[in-house]
Formats: sequence, C-alpha cells, structure tokens
Amino acid sequence: MRWRYLKQSVFFGLVSASALIITLVLGGIIFYIITNGYSVISLDFITKPPTDSMTKGGIMPAIIGTIYLTVGAIAIGLPFGIASAIYLTEYARQGKIVRIIKIGINCLAGVPSVVFGLFGLGFFVIFLKFGSSILAGSLTLGFLILPTIIGASEEALKSVPQTFREASLSLGVSKWQTIYRIVLPNALPGILTGSILGIGRAAGETAPIMFTAAAFFTAKLPSSIFDEVMALPYHIYVLATAGTNIEATRPIQFGTVLVLVGVVLGIDLIAIIIRGYMRRKKRW
Amino acid sequence: MTRRIKEIIIKYIFFLFALVSVIVLGLIVSSLFREGLPVFKSVSLKDFIFGMEWYPTYDPPSFGIFPLIFGSFIVTVFATVIAVPLGVLAAIYISEIAPQAIKESLKSVIELLAGLPSVVLGFFGMVIVAPWLQETFDLPTGLNIINASVILAIMAIPTISSISEDALYAVPNEFKEASYALGATKYETITKIILPAALSGISTAVMLGMARAIGETMVVLMVAGGAAAIPESIFDSVRPMPASIAAEMGETPYGSPHYHALFAIGMVLFFLTLMFNLIADYASHKFRQTGSATL
Amino acid sequence: MDSHIIKLHKVNFYYGQTQALTDISMNFGQNRVTALIGPSGCGKSTLLRLLNRMNDLIDGTKVEGEILFEGRNIYAPNIDPVEIRRKVGMVFQKPNPFPKTIYNNISYGPKLTGVTVADMDSLVEQSLRQAVLWDEVKDILNKSAMNLSGGQQQRLCIARALAMKPDVLLMDEPTSALDPISTAKIEELIEELKKDYTIIIVTHNMQQAARISDETAFFYLGNLVEYNKTEKIFTNPDVKQTEDYITGRFG
Repeated sequence: MRWRYLKQSVFFGLVSASALIITLVLGGIIFYIITNGYSVISLDFITKPPTDSMTKGGIMPAIIGTIYLTVGAIAIGLPFGIASAIYLTEYARQGKIVRIIKIGINCLAGVPSVVFGLFGLGFFVIFLKFGSSILAGSLTLGFLILPTIIGASEEALKSVPQTFREASLSLGVSKWQTIYRIVLPNALPGILTGSILGIGRAAGETAPIMFTAAAFFTAKLPSSIFDEVMALPYHIYVLATAGTNIEATRPIQFGTVLVLVGVVLGIDLIAIIIRGYMRRKKRW
Repeated sequence: MTRRIKEIIIKYIFFLFALVSVIVLGLIVSSLFREGLPVFKSVSLKDFIFGMEWYPTYDPPSFGIFPLIFGSFIVTVFATVIAVPLGVLAAIYISEIAPQAIKESLKSVIELLAGLPSVVLGFFGMVIVAPWLQETFDLPTGLNIINASVILAIMAIPTISSISEDALYAVPNEFKEASYALGATKYETITKIILPAALSGISTAVMLGMARAIGETMVVLMVAGGAAAIPESIFDSVRPMPASIAAEMGETPYGSPHYHALFAIGMVLFFLTLMFNLIADYASHKFRQTGSATL
Repeated sequence: MDSHIIKLHKVNFYYGQTQALTDISMNFGQNRVTALIGPSGCGKSTLLRLLNRMNDLIDGTKVEGEILFEGRNIYAPNIDPVEIRRKVGMVFQKPNPFPKTIYNNISYGPKLTGVTVADMDSLVEQSLRQAVLWDEVKDILNKSAMNLSGGQQQRLCIARALAMKPDVLLMDEPTSALDPISTAKIEELIEELKKDYTIIIVTHNMQQAARISDETAFFYLGNLVEYNKTEKIFTNPDVKQTEDYITGRFG
C-alpha cells in the first residue's frame, strides 16, 4: 500500500516539476529580456530612426513597418477568415467539398513560415511583380494567419446557441439576416479575441517577411504599399547576426527585443484577459 | 423569389471565401514547383536528395541537400525528446492535478510561451544559451545541435501541451469515476485509464509538435551554427533546411540554379511537414476514443 | 367552407436511413388546439417541426407525401420556407429570447421581414398584451430579456411569435422547462389565443393535453395511433395502446 502511494508521489512530483520548468522558462526569458532591455528604452529610442549605420539611435521605422505589416495582415486575414468560418459553420453540409476545404485549412496551418516566405517571394514579389513591399508582406502574413482566424471564428460561431438561430428562422427571418443580425453579433467578441492571438503571430514572424517586405535599412518611412519597410523581428535578426558591430549594438538588440515582446505578448495578454472576462460574463 | 435568389448568391459568395484556403495552398504548391523544379536541369533528383555536398556558390556548384535534411532531422528528434515529456506531463498537471486557479494561469503561461516570436527565442539562444554552452563544455562554438534542440523544444512545448490537454480533458468522466470506485489511486487512474484513452490525441500532439519544430526557421537559422555537414556529436553545428533557405535566399541572384535549389528545398520541407500533418490527422481519427454511450 | 388549415397526406419522414414518421395522414382544424402526445421518440416533435420546415436545418433528412398549408404544398419546390415560417410561428421547449432588449425581441421579426409597420410601439404593446406580459414588463422594455424569469421569457417568446401575426402557432413542449405557476399562466394564455390562432402543441404532460386541447393525436414509434376529440381520447379511446399510454401503463 505504501509503495502505491510512493509511486504516486514521485509521479506527481515529476508532473508538477514539468509545469514549473515551463513557467520558469517563460519567466526566465521575459525577466532576462526586461532586465537587459529596459535601460535602452526611451522616448527617443521609440521615436527616432537609427543612426551611424544602425549602431546608435532608435527603431522608429521598424515599429512603423511592423504596424503597417500587421494591419495589412489583419485586413487580409480577418475578412477571409471570418467569411470562411461562416461558410463552414452556417452553410456547409457534410460532404466531399467541405472535407477538402477542411483538409486544405489544416494543411495551410502546417505550412512552415519559411515556405510561406518562398511562396510570397515566388508569387507576390516575382509573379505578380509587387516587388519586396508592404503589399507582398501583408498578403503573405495575412494568409499565414488565415487558419488561426478561421479556427477562432469557427469556435466562436459554434458557441452561439442553436436555439437563437431556430428562434430567428422560425419567425420567418431569412438565413442571411439571421446570421447577420443574431449569429455574428453574438460571435464577434469571441472571433476578435481568438483572432488577436493570430495577429500577435503576424507581428512577430520573421521568415515570411524576409524575402517579401523587410528592408535591412531605410531612412525614410514608406510612402506607398509598394515600398519596402523595416520591421522589428527582422531588425533583431539583422542586428544580431549581420550588423556592422554585433557586440556594440547588443543594447539596441535587447531594446528591440523588449519592444517586440512587449507588443506581441501585450496583444496576447489583452486577448487572454478579455476572453476570461467574457467567459465569466456569458449568460447562455 | 428574389429573396431566395439573393440568399443563394450570398451562400455562394461565402463558399468562394471558404475556397480561399485551398486556393492559397494550391498557389503555394505551384509557386514552389514553378521556381523549384528548374534545379533538376542542373542536378538529378537522386543527387539532390542524397548528395552529401552543399556548395551552391562553388564553380561548378554542388547541390546535395542530404546534410541539410539530416540537420533538420537531428534537431527535430532531439527537440521532440526534450519537449514530449515536459509537454505531456505539464498537460497532465493542468488537466488532472492542478487546482483551478493554477490551472488557468498555467494555461495562460503556455499560451504566452506559444506567442513568443521565434526570432526572440533565437536571440535568446544566441546570447544566453550559446555562451553558456561554450564555456561549460569548452566548445569552439555554442551554436550547435543541442542549443537548437533546446530552443526548438521550447517552441514545440506549447503545441504538444495544449493539444494533449484537450485530449486528456476529452476523456469521459465516467471512466475516471469507475476507476476510483474500484479503489484505484489517482496515479493508477491517470496512467492506466486516462493516458491510454487520450493516446490518439497525444500522438496527434506529438506529430504536430514535430511538424512545428522541423519547419521552424529563425531558431535554427540563429543557433544551429550553419555547418552543412553530417555532424559527429551533439555539440557540432548543423544547417537545417529552413536555415539554408533563409540565409541564402537574400544573396542569390533571381533565376540562378542556386535560387531554384532553395525553392526545391522548400518543396522538400513542404512535403515533409505535410506528411507530419497528415499522420497527425490520421492518428487523431484512427485511434479516436469512442466516447461514453448515451442513453 | 373547409375548416382544416393544415392537411397531411401520407407523410413519411427520414433522418438519413432511419424512418421517423410513417404514413401520417391527418388534418388540423382552424382555431382549434390540437395536442400531440406520445412517449419520447415517437415522432411528435418531428411532425411539429415539419409544419414550418424547421427540419430543413438538419442534414440528410427526407420528406415524402404532402403537407398542405392553406391548400398549398409547403414542400413543393417553388415554395420558400421563409415565407411559410412567417405564417406558422413556433414556440420552443426552452425559452430562447435573443440577448437583446425586451422591445427589440418583439420588433426583431417584423422589422427584418420587411413588414411595413406603421407603429412599432403599438405592435410591441399589442403582442405583449396578447401574451399577458405587458403589465409585468411595460416599464422595463429597454432592459435585456435575459433578466426575465423563465416563465416570463417563455411568454416573451410567444409574444415574439405573435408579433409576426401568424395563422398557426406551433408549441414544442412550451411548459416543460417551467414551474407550475408559470405553466398555469401559459395554459390560460393558450385558451385565450385559440380565438385568433390555430394552435398545435406537443406535450409530455397528459393532464395538460386534457385541459387545453380540443383534439388529441397519440403517436407511437412514428405512427399516428389514434386521433380524435380530446374528450374521447381521454375517456374512451378506440385503441388499446392509447388507453395503456394515458393510464400510465407505459411511456
């Protein structure tokens, strides 16, 4: 009998230790980034462009570039994603075509980010002649986050009680109006919070924008969607691996990492908090 | 009648939107083929896959990607070995043992870990793990297999953990109650009842975690060291496929055999991850737990 | 004058391979209350949902035979189910108000179906009065319907259906989720509504069927076993099975 409980204690110890290790890894990484990066952060760092071959100055163009690319990715991913999910949850009947679509979405979700980069390069940059640009980068990122947004939207749409749809349809309200007036408004908060996690991903990805949008250095801000931009993740990569003086720019690297992590995890954290609040508030 | 036609048109508009994912997937495949296939004018498929020498910029160049495939393979295997126990055990902790408050925060921790941009983890591996490895083991470089595997494991843990947790959560409560009613301890219930019942979901989780690791770019680009040779120890550098693509594409003239070769590596990578994803999909259907009967 | 508003002729209904209704032929009288009774799974709810084409929402169903509503076959290919549902209202087992205000719950249907309503306020008031809810909610019309009690919610759902001015009201066990006092209120309401509407109600509760209905149909395993005046069914049924069911020997 004691042996049984001893085994159990050892097992529980291992299991708790795993959870602890994961927490410590996250905590350690964030702690390390904050302690090394915070001294660099200043208003100038965020609002000024780099100077002296990127060994001094701020990272403003990279922040702006990341905002442009992320907004562009949302503009592509959100409408396509929500519309796909509406088809799958509200209209589609089980059958071959739906199966193909679902497999397609799963496969798309599994495509490595660097392959998305190649696709963006081969299709948007070269074939459609967009060049390395905000447009090409946004499209690539938008399709990268599409499966995430479809998944989040499907889940949110499914959580709207079937009885709401039945009540509306039984009044002689058409299907589209039922979706538009009843289903979507009730699913929208869930769709948005779920999608935010995808948006965080778009802001932090590097490989898809390396060949499609990101510039090593541009002094001026983009004037059209056909311009290249700097971006935070790529800026980190460039400074850490190919900068003119890698050791001397360490503080800037840490500062940039801190800004990027702050933005991405900030976005994620907001989504997680809103979601928790909504779950508690939900009344059906 | 007009309203019915309008409704039908709306339905088909949404259908077209739903097709976008499939169309994009098709465009990805066709772009890879269009830009990748021309490399086989310079090298045979067999020499490309099994060739031991990757010297794309030499004259004449040599496009053997076996060392790159091997590099991807080795870091993925090691990352899996590290990530699976941690991820699955953490999932068990969350779904079976943790008190409610800890459960919720731990789920958030894992979600945030998943949200860390890969370039940040790569950076962390470069500036923290690499110097530490180099000093501790007295190595020529800390950018090597073990470093890349550890960082990749950190990336794969959230995938493995969250999908495993869903699988554990889906095990019907009656199973657990039946087990406790027979006098089994919590440990026995978890290992003999819950884990076997959730096995299909956990294998899916492992496959998807591996797919994530093999396709990950920035980490292997920054911390794997970049040597395109078959390694002799876990402290050697490697050059996994995504790293090669990302590192070389920038310096490759458009339309050159090297350029096409990088797209061809993309094809290999695409089909490899596709395979992992399909196996994961198969696993989740094949061993699906038949749920509790309803009256 | 034909006083039957809905007529079923040899109706068969299938969920995939499973036949849920077999050869149902029956007529529903105008301004009558008809109760559909029978054990769980006998097909009574399925039949109810056929009458406003709500079963269309389920994949893989098939209907055979004819269902005539005001002389038109509602399953004919040129019929728009949306049109049918405007004339055949429905109240569900569980109260299902929209998460909107009380006022907007009522005005939702008329607004979206393009009915030109001269005075929405008075339509809302009229519908709520018909459902005997007006006095309880007249001061809180802009509050969320989710704050009402279960019984109030169900009467709101009835008012919501009435606002569309349907000819027929289908009720799918409307009181099964309610307490006895609320149930009594709804039963009184049904008595009142039958002056203007044809009501078809599915119920598990045999006393309820006996109290409120004019005709009663007893279903068993997808078959219509007996259909007659309620009084007759509950005092002297023709079929042994019906008697066994209503005396509680099975079901």
